[in-house]
Amino acid sequence: MALASYESQRRRFARQAFAPSLLFLILVAGLPTLFLIITSLTPAALVNPGSLTDFSEPFRNYTLLLSDERFVGSLWVQAKLSFYTVTMQVLIGTSMALLVHAGQGRWQSLRHLFVIPMVLPPIVVAVIWKLIYTPDISPIYRAAKALGIVLPSLTTHVDFALWAIVIADTWEWAPFTFLMVLAALQTLPSEYVEAARMDGADTMGVFLHIVLPYIAPVLLVCTLFRVIDSIKAFPLIFLLTGGGPGSVTEVTNYYAYLVAFNFGELGYSSAITVVLLSLTVLISWAAMRASRSNQSIE
Amino acid sequence: MTPKLAAIPLSRRTLLKQAAGVTAGATLGMPAIAQSKPFAGLKLRGAAYQHGFFNHLKKYIPEFEAATGMTVDLQLSAFPVYNQQADLELSSGGSAWDFCNVTFILAARWISAGLLSNLDDFSGDRKLTPASWNPDDFVKGAQVPYVDKDGKTYGYSWEGGAMLMGISRMDLMKKRGLSVPRTFDDLMKVADGIHGQQDVTGFVSSNLHHWFLPPYIHGFGGDLFANPPGDIRPTLDSAAAVQAVDYYGRLLSKYSPQGVLGYTEDQARAALLGGRSNIFIHSSSWVTAMLTSPDSKVEETALVTRMPVGPKGDFPAANSQGLGIPKNAKNKEAAWAFIQWALSPELTARIVKDTGHASICRRSVIESAEYKRLNTINGQDIGKLYLDVLQQPAVGRNYMAYRTVKEFPLMGDVVNKAVERVVSGQMPAAESMRVAQEAALSSLRRSGAKV
Repeated sequence: MALASYESQRRRFARQAFAPSLLFLILVAGLPTLFLIITSLTPAALVNPGSLTDFSEPFRNYTLLLSDERFVGSLWVQAKLSFYTVTMQVLIGTSMALLVHAGQGRWQSLRHLFVIPMVLPPIVVAVIWKLIYTPDISPIYRAAKALGIVLPSLTTHVDFALWAIVIADTWEWAPFTFLMVLAALQTLPSEYVEAARMDGADTMGVFLHIVLPYIAPVLLVCTLFRVIDSIKAFPLIFLLTGGGPGSVTEVTNYYAYLVAFNFGELGYSSAITVVLLSLTVLISWAAMRASRSNQSIE
Repeated sequence: MTPKLAAIPLSRRTLLKQAAGVTAGATLGMPAIAQSKPFAGLKLRGAAYQHGFFNHLKKYIPEFEAATGMTVDLQLSAFPVYNQQADLELSSGGSAWDFCNVTFILAARWISAGLLSNLDDFSGDRKLTPASWNPDDFVKGAQVPYVDKDGKTYGYSWEGGAMLMGISRMDLMKKRGLSVPRTFDDLMKVADGIHGQQDVTGFVSSNLHHWFLPPYIHGFGGDLFANPPGDIRPTLDSAAAVQAVDYYGRLLSKYSPQGVLGYTEDQARAALLGGRSNIFIHSSSWVTAMLTSPDSKVEETALVTRMPVGPKGDFPAANSQGLGIPKNAKNKEAAWAFIQWALSPELTARIVKDTGHASICRRSVIESAEYKRLNTINGQDIGKLYLDVLQQPAVGRNYMAYRTVKEFPLMGDVVNKAVERVVSGQMPAAESMRVAQEAALSSLRRSGAKV
């Protein structure tokens, strides 16, 4: 009886302790999301205030989405962009971390430089790359021209525009993986490596059987964070390509922005955003499950 | 409607006299305001986008404040930022602004949604507006976007844009035996003849294809809609539209600087002013900078002239920006007093004289001797070219009607994509315009348009 009473008090205390955070979360994230979902069920348009409360065809926007080739195309562009950027960021970030960890003395002073791109405001990063990619003013293009090499204009070329975004995004966010992996490497017990070497493992063997399994959970977290963040890619696309040429770099959130603010169709844009949000939640859930099963195997 | 020029007989002397009158606070345009300060203590709030005109206007606002007793809070934002703010402010029925810029491309949308006040109620009221203000003095072509189908006026234009052709390297053209292009065929030949000579490209443009392409579509005998503004079925897959995209696409892909698809207007202007590109066809203020800007390296070799004529006629684009009053503005009469003052012939003439700002819409001022004197550069009467183009849409068929369709932003985006696909080699013109036509139909239907 006393135990049950203690348990119920403990639960009540936990509920009360959680309540302010929960309330805050509902206010900050829940209400806007609810508003977004409700708006997506209307034909809301900026120039037609009455349309915000028109629920006569609640699923019209979602039905239209299925046949909107531009929306479907933007999802595919988003998938490609996320895959390329996350893969490159994880590979380059990890390589940089391994390099710095292996040669700490030499690389110690440069370590902080690697982090600079990540702490710059995204619009500044976009401006930097705009300067690099603009043939008229770019020092790279000028140097190439002086050498008699004609470089294509990356941001307006159908084959390179997406890669132009990938390169800029990788430059900005590879340091995130670098920092995370470097922190993990610094906690790697040296005895593991020494024991493996005494057993005859070469550098690759040590990496594959000791280092990689050790940093794998961190890599998983990095990948998860970067996948979610890559879906939010906006300033680079806005400033560098405007989604073009054609729709080659038009990702879903950029399309949602155009629909909302250029075309004034808030309802349809909200439906696009709801789909995007659902996909993000789904990816996060899958990644968290993967992370948990990975931990349980360990 | 013929402008009533007789109402304001303008000569240099008259303009100077009137200018002096405004300074004294007792102008012909606002005697009531000047004498009684009916708005003493009122704070008038307005918004527009950053533009040289407003920077000039701000210098004169203290005079208006002294004459009326009100204070003016004019917020200026970057063009896209302002448009988003205005869309939200107006559509939500806000009353934060007493006057605002009526953006050309959004005017039809705002007017048809009833978000702006009918200014005829003010301009037609002799207690509020003296006859000398003369609304008919605004160039009719510039007023087209701000008048609804019933003839009611929702804005008065403060800025005009008349598409002209800027040629930066006439010296090079003469050397190559090329004369000023008068037809689309000539333009292609000149672009071909100059491209690559002394590192100069034959042509340049910016990424606003929805502005640059339509004159070619019109010139080949087509339009963007079947019969705008009444019938807005898109006609992007017509033979004329395909021909125009193919033509304009060739100018961009073969004769323009590398990366031209990403060019902003400023980049294109810089290429022209630097003599790196020979021809830029854009609004007058962008191309006349070759003759007036201190950054220009081609002052001596530049020519500003009418854009070439297409096989089916002469359709240079013209646009304007207006000032209007939101439907729910709190201080409408005060806002009208401000608009009346800011766009009065007297102040317009002063601004032209004091600052050289030329892209105005008051016909009487544009036709004045002082304006002509100030805008005749290197022997080129830019004012005449500007007026010819600005009034063109009101002569005969209003070919700029496509831009007064409230769904135009949707079409503009579709057109941009279509041009980019052609120039980047993703699709030939016919296929790209077929895709554009389908996209336009689907977007228009989604937005509720009956097509």
